[in-house]
Amino acid sequence: MSGLRLTEGSRGLAASVAVEGAPLTRTQVPYVTGSSVLGMKCADGVVIACDTMASYGTLARFKSLSRMHQVSPNCILGVGGDYSDFQQLQTMVDAEMTAQYVANDGLTLSPKAIHSFLARHMYHRRCKVDPLWNTVIVAGFDKGEGVLSLVDLFGTAFSSDVLATGFGLHLGLPLLRNAHRPDITVAEAKGVLEDILKVLFYRDARTNDVVQLASVTAAGVEIGKMTKLKTEWGYKSFVEGARVGDDSSW
Amino acid sequence: MFLTRSEYDRGVNTFSPEGRLFQVEYAIEAIKLGSTAVGICTTEGVILAVEKRLTSPLLTPSSIEKVLEIDTHIGAAMSGLTADARTLIDHGRIVTQEHRFTYDEPLSVESTTQSLCDLALRFGEDGRDDGADAMARPFGVALLIAGVDDEGGPALYHTDPSGTYVKWMAKAIGAGSEGAQTALQEAWSAGMTLAEAEGLALKTLKAVMEEKVSGENVEVAAVTAESGKFEVYSKEKLLACIGRL
Amino acid sequence: MDALGLLRPGASVSGLPAAHTPGAATGFALGDHAGRAQAAPAAEPGVVASTASGPLQRRFQPYQNNGGTVLAVAGKGFCVVASDTRLGLGYSIPSRKVSRILKMTDKVVLASSGMQADMLTLHKTLRMRLVQYQQTHQKHMSLTAASQMLSNMLYTRRFFPYYTFNVLGGIDENGEGWAYGYDAIGSHEKVSAVCSGTGQTLIQPVLDNQIEFKQQWGAPKVDLSLEATVELIRDAFTSAGERDIYTGDFVEICKITKDGVDVEEFQLKLD
Repeated sequence: MSGLRLTEGSRGLAASVAVEGAPLTRTQVPYVTGSSVLGMKCADGVVIACDTMASYGTLARFKSLSRMHQVSPNCILGVGGDYSDFQQLQTMVDAEMTAQYVANDGLTLSPKAIHSFLARHMYHRRCKVDPLWNTVIVAGFDKGEGVLSLVDLFGTAFSSDVLATGFGLHLGLPLLRNAHRPDITVAEAKGVLEDILKVLFYRDARTNDVVQLASVTAAGVEIGKMTKLKTEWGYKSFVEGARVGDDSSW
Repeated sequence: MFLTRSEYDRGVNTFSPEGRLFQVEYAIEAIKLGSTAVGICTTEGVILAVEKRLTSPLLTPSSIEKVLEIDTHIGAAMSGLTADARTLIDHGRIVTQEHRFTYDEPLSVESTTQSLCDLALRFGEDGRDDGADAMARPFGVALLIAGVDDEGGPALYHTDPSGTYVKWMAKAIGAGSEGAQTALQEAWSAGMTLAEAEGLALKTLKAVMEEKVSGENVEVAAVTAESGKFEVYSKEKLLACIGRL
Repeated sequence: MDALGLLRPGASVSGLPAAHTPGAATGFALGDHAGRAQAAPAAEPGVVASTASGPLQRRFQPYQNNGGTVLAVAGKGFCVVASDTRLGLGYSIPSRKVSRILKMTDKVVLASSGMQADMLTLHKTLRMRLVQYQQTHQKHMSLTAASQMLSNMLYTRRFFPYYTFNVLGGIDENGEGWAYGYDAIGSHEKVSAVCSGTGQTLIQPVLDNQIEFKQQWGAPKVDLSLEATVELIRDAFTSAGERDIYTGDFVEICKITKDGVDVEEFQLKLD
């Protein structure tokens, strides 16, 4: 046998087991996945939002999982992509924060530092061709200003006033851009994000209607409870479907 | 005095209660036994001149090299344990070439000197990852480093076993350094030409040497601002110099 | 697979949504992320595909093209380095304002297109090296030194390249403006005008014509002023933005003169 070999079986086995006589290869695909995360920077803080479903392919496998993680008193993550990789990411970030804590110097990583730390880690893993299959949105509040940044499985890292991952990148980001104003408040933005999650629930088959919103402001982190979206299925096009002459399909 | 010393002159990294590192001081002493070397810096360039001790008429004079090129724009004269100098010069040759490889430019004279001093100070340490083994003792050699660069033009540096480097306008090292340094201090002037420096260097050496200066027992080298090149004088050029004395 | 084809400037491989392999099982194809990874063809040399009964096995492709156009134009005593700020991904624009420019010194500016993650890493490493150089040698790195160092840094990743296409511009030791163009693995050329990235094919011929007077037989070769150069660059980016979907949003224009670097921003169409 020569050359590369794709390992078979579950990801846990496939991750780093060398097939005898063949070079070690890491085959990876995401298995249990979360869909979109949305984020918006506001005048008084940052809001992020996501649904609570984790799919196994087309199967709606878990329907009330939180995809948010609090890292520090002023920083949270919203994560899409592979759920087990997200859990590993949580362990890794928590370990780093603990290491900082035990130094007992009164210093904690700023949201910007956490973003950079994640970016270096994700880039390192992509260079090993063994990525953590996630897109992470970092939301924080530091020095009187909101922080909203993104890291993906390649180590791509940047900050923006509005961010969306997964299906939300296609369907949510234009809506976020339309809704954003520099003077928008956290309270207002929560409504906007909830509306966009509703759009995503209507159209993204990997999104459910139980959602979670979180904000980071001068007052600290506030991760909301999982709430069920109020949906409306009585729209004419939902009921009757698309007709010739309609502005768009349903 | 020697009683207290004997307690603290074993380890190279052990200070005496008075705050001295005896092994380093002894190494500096070793240079005072070495042959004399002088360096003179002018606006036109730098002259290096060294005495070669020909202990036997059967010895081939050209086999004693006390002035060596580090890079095309830098050279060094030595006094003390000349074998130790080879290690330093080899290191200098490597770092200057590495710098050219990485940055496509010559390494400055000060940076070259600094890197030699970094090596000189590495005694008593474990070897490094890069394979450069550390010395168990300080280097027993002093260098006069002459060069030109874009930053400061011609420059002359003196390094000693403690890893200290100092920039000089004129400097003498070795057995005859005390007398030579005094002579240099009296004769050196800011407006000196390179030719005058050449004469002064040889004259100073001549004054402290036991033998008569000849084409065999001295070496002269120069680095000029005009050419930007370091050059050890050929026999003909050296004899012409001596002729002008 | 055509691994080297990926390194061509302007090649967009994993950035574009993958075409669906006919008949391929889609049970495990997950809409959002999986679209970028490609199914490993069974016929791929050296790859043993999984048995027909198992799930479709695919391999993570470590490269991504985020697009972008960068250019550098040198003139008499100045150099202009410019880049758009669009971060593209397939048919999406995850962000409209991500800088691709690194101010290395007061006289040297770098712009990189290609994969943003690689660009970020390259720029961070360069920043470290610049500080180390400054502290070791007590001087700022010259344009030539920076150009050689960048080449070496790219070449150290010869067998897992930074997927970046760099242009370097600045003022050299003699006060002359120069531009340097690079490929992903460090081959470089000292020129007076260069463009790289997704808009390269649209802009480079214009620079050849307007800066080097190529194809203008007998026309007098005049040196463009700084203002005229910036004007040309604005036009070039506006045009590239019309046809290249990976170029748009904003352009950062760095004007490098003996007095330092002056940055101006220029709005492009957002479509």
